[in-house]
Amino acid sequence: MSAAADRRFGIGLMTPIGLLYLLFLILPIGFFLSMGFFKYDVFGLYKAELTGENFARLVVDSYYQDIVLLTLKLAGLTTLFSLILGYPLAFFLTRTQSMWRGALMFMVVAPLTTGVIVRTYGWIVLMGAEGIVNKTLIALGLIDRPIQILHTETAVVIALVHILMPYMVFPLISALASQDPNLERAASTLGASRARCFFEVTLPLSRAGILMGSVLVFTLSAGSVVIPQLIGGKDVQMMGQSIYELVLHTLNWPLGSAMASLLVLMQFSIIFLYFRSNRRARR
Amino acid sequence: MPAADTASRPSRPGWAGLKLSVFLIYVFLMGPIAIIVLSSFNATTSMAFPPQGFSLRWYGEFFRSDSFVDAFLFSIRLGVCAAIGSTVIGFLASYAIVRFGGRQREAAQSVALLPAMIPHILISMSLLLALNFVPIPDFTVLLAGHILICLPFTIAGITASLDGVDPQLEAAAWTLGASRLRILAEVVLPLVAPGVLSALIFAFIVSFGDIYIALFLAGPGMTTLPMEIFSYVQWESTPVIAAISTLQILLIVGLGLIVERLVGLRRIMRF
Amino acid sequence: MSTRETILALEGVTKRYGDAPGVVGPIDLAIGKGEFLTLLGPSGCGKTTTLQIVAGLLEPTAGRVMLNGRDITHAPPPQRDMGLVFQNYALFPHKTIFDNVAFGLRMRKVPKAEITERVMDMLRIVGLPDVERRLPDQLSGGQRQRVALARALVIQPTILLLDEPLSNLDAMLRKRMRHEIRDLQQRLGITTIFVTHDQDEAFEMSDRVALLDRGSIAQIGSPEDLYDAPTTRFVAEFIGDANLIDGQVVAADGQGLVRLQIAGGSEMVARTADTTLAPGQQALLMIRPERIELVDAAAPGTVPARVRNRVFSGERITFELDTAGGPIVCTKPSLPQFRLLDPGAKVWLQPGDCRALRAS
Repeated sequence: MSAAADRRFGIGLMTPIGLLYLLFLILPIGFFLSMGFFKYDVFGLYKAELTGENFARLVVDSYYQDIVLLTLKLAGLTTLFSLILGYPLAFFLTRTQSMWRGALMFMVVAPLTTGVIVRTYGWIVLMGAEGIVNKTLIALGLIDRPIQILHTETAVVIALVHILMPYMVFPLISALASQDPNLERAASTLGASRARCFFEVTLPLSRAGILMGSVLVFTLSAGSVVIPQLIGGKDVQMMGQSIYELVLHTLNWPLGSAMASLLVLMQFSIIFLYFRSNRRARR
Repeated sequence: MPAADTASRPSRPGWAGLKLSVFLIYVFLMGPIAIIVLSSFNATTSMAFPPQGFSLRWYGEFFRSDSFVDAFLFSIRLGVCAAIGSTVIGFLASYAIVRFGGRQREAAQSVALLPAMIPHILISMSLLLALNFVPIPDFTVLLAGHILICLPFTIAGITASLDGVDPQLEAAAWTLGASRLRILAEVVLPLVAPGVLSALIFAFIVSFGDIYIALFLAGPGMTTLPMEIFSYVQWESTPVIAAISTLQILLIVGLGLIVERLVGLRRIMRF
Repeated sequence: MSTRETILALEGVTKRYGDAPGVVGPIDLAIGKGEFLTLLGPSGCGKTTTLQIVAGLLEPTAGRVMLNGRDITHAPPPQRDMGLVFQNYALFPHKTIFDNVAFGLRMRKVPKAEITERVMDMLRIVGLPDVERRLPDQLSGGQRQRVALARALVIQPTILLLDEPLSNLDAMLRKRMRHEIRDLQQRLGITTIFVTHDQDEAFEMSDRVALLDRGSIAQIGSPEDLYDAPTTRFVAEFIGDANLIDGQVVAADGQGLVRLQIAGGSEMVARTADTTLAPGQQALLMIRPERIELVDAAAPGTVPARVRNRVFSGERITFELDTAGGPIVCTKPSLPQFRLLDPGAKVWLQPGDCRALRAS
């Protein structure tokens, strides 16, 4: 078979996925995002008139401003705490000799596979008025009435960190595991203390993992709907919930689309920054 | 993995401190799940923890409840279809990427993983919108949505498996007179079978656990288990949810173990 | 050239990738029935690429490949009836030895009973009568190599292609396999193209050798042709050792005999393949180290030299000598008279056959 026939065969193999992506992903999403530029129609989906008022509203209306800012804040906090908790975990998993290492790694991934609802539900139980946290605090005598844990921003961040940490841990493990162990040995023979070794050699070299994990966690938390809805309720509104509300309840598709475009923009900017810094790091 | 030596680990107290922190983090990770599993045996109707009494009544409730059982069965049906669909499409795409990608392999692989970079709600809402204009059966769109979110995982896993197959084996079979199809069937598939099987299982897991796609696209009479739980949780709070969740956890962890035995979950997580 | 009928012909075969300068070609080659031809050359010279074009794994950018007069340039491998032995053997790891060897026969829809007979027969011929039920990873490297050979031969191909099949074997096994492969080839009378970078291997096994340099055939001929009469500097240096001295053509008879003057004034008579060499042109005088007589007095046709170094290697002695025209290496059997020549001694060199090459 010639190179040309080879290419034809390859293209043939890609046809199913290509068609699927084109018809079910690219076209629908393109259409949906373009809705942001149309006018809101109370009776139909949209009025076929171009306008910038949806985007303007997002920027100007304080209600939506708050939502966007809150999303940025919570996604940022989630990413930060995922890193703080995930790094020691990743470090431990790559350096430990324990024979349980396989099981421990499995325990990091397994929760991921049970789905968002199940784990969120666990947090609801934990943090509810009759939940274990409150019960423990009352039993310890620290408080005498159950405190409000659910429906706070803190609760949402805790739950998000819990759900998304594996996405931080795995890139970190990849980055840490691929480090040449001789680098640290070299540093220590040159006189660096263990702490110095870590901060000057290990940490900077794991930069790629930190970035990839952060990008994943940030984009996933920014776009989450179920967790803020179930745990935060009406008191914590993130962009994901807002889009859901606008599209399915208020039926204001253009505004919902504009909000979605904004979310996508945020996420792609982060991804773009990631690729930029990756390329710079390679030089 | 680096061999044990003192330089690659912090000092004694440092390491002990690390082990403690890691233990606490695992408690954090496993806590809610443990609570759910334990709560499912609660004898009372309250969701209080620690559970009072021990009972299997909630599991009974689950099996008695038509809506839950139907949702469970539907999720399995959908999961099997999505798994097969995404594995087949993913295999073809992976083979094309690995064998015919050449210099554009990285780019092709990134494009193939596109759905993983798009928020799931965006995918489902766009499909919902498209449904308004194009009459496609609801199940088809739901299935398509699930295949889309499963594809990145099947492709990541199968390309990793294919990378382990020596291309010279295919060249040898070719010079011995095998057609392209024969090569796939006799040389490639047997060698990547574990990888394909685990991609299949992992796709099922992803489909079973999805809420975002199903929430928007499920038509009348089509409720997945996560959807059923989602709506139930918002109105009631009895341990039957804990029982269902525990069953789901058991199912998925069981499948996950099979995947781990076959190829290791880490490979599939490697985007 | 042999009088065999041509089985395979490459006409102007070229391979280029994009706009990069040609990796291979243009190559013109004709291989006779039953011939053992080796493509020899340093790594990167294009020998494996050429083999892959012959096998059909690569398509040439230009040129034709003709098999028994039929144009197969664009035919896929299954249509070419060739057996290919890969450097890493490429045995199917999940199939038994029997299934591996039987694979090609199955593709050709040979009846089962016949397959069994031919496979067992071939395994016996390559010296592996009892391994048919084992898996490749249970065999040693040498055994795997024989299985690869069996797999390629059992289909009775028109041409056998071998891509550096012995590179992964240790030295002793390599030497033994060289003989076995050559014997097998002669017994079966199968046309064979062999690729290697090892000059000794090429010489020991081949009827003809094609030496490739950066994608083109520098010279093609029998091993004797290449050794005794190299046509370019590259060939002279790649095959064996060569002393190369700058000189100027003083006289030429236009039929292959020239006289060169080298630094120091000495004039040497040399044969050449380049009949266009004319007086006044720059040329290279090539002398093989073992074809130099060492004499103790000047005479016509001798070159004065001083011994700089003497290296004893058991069966022979290597002399490094300085002459007016440059350093010269001379090897001699380690006989008593040569052991007495010490560094610093003055001798006269009397070259035997010399070749003249155009200076590049």
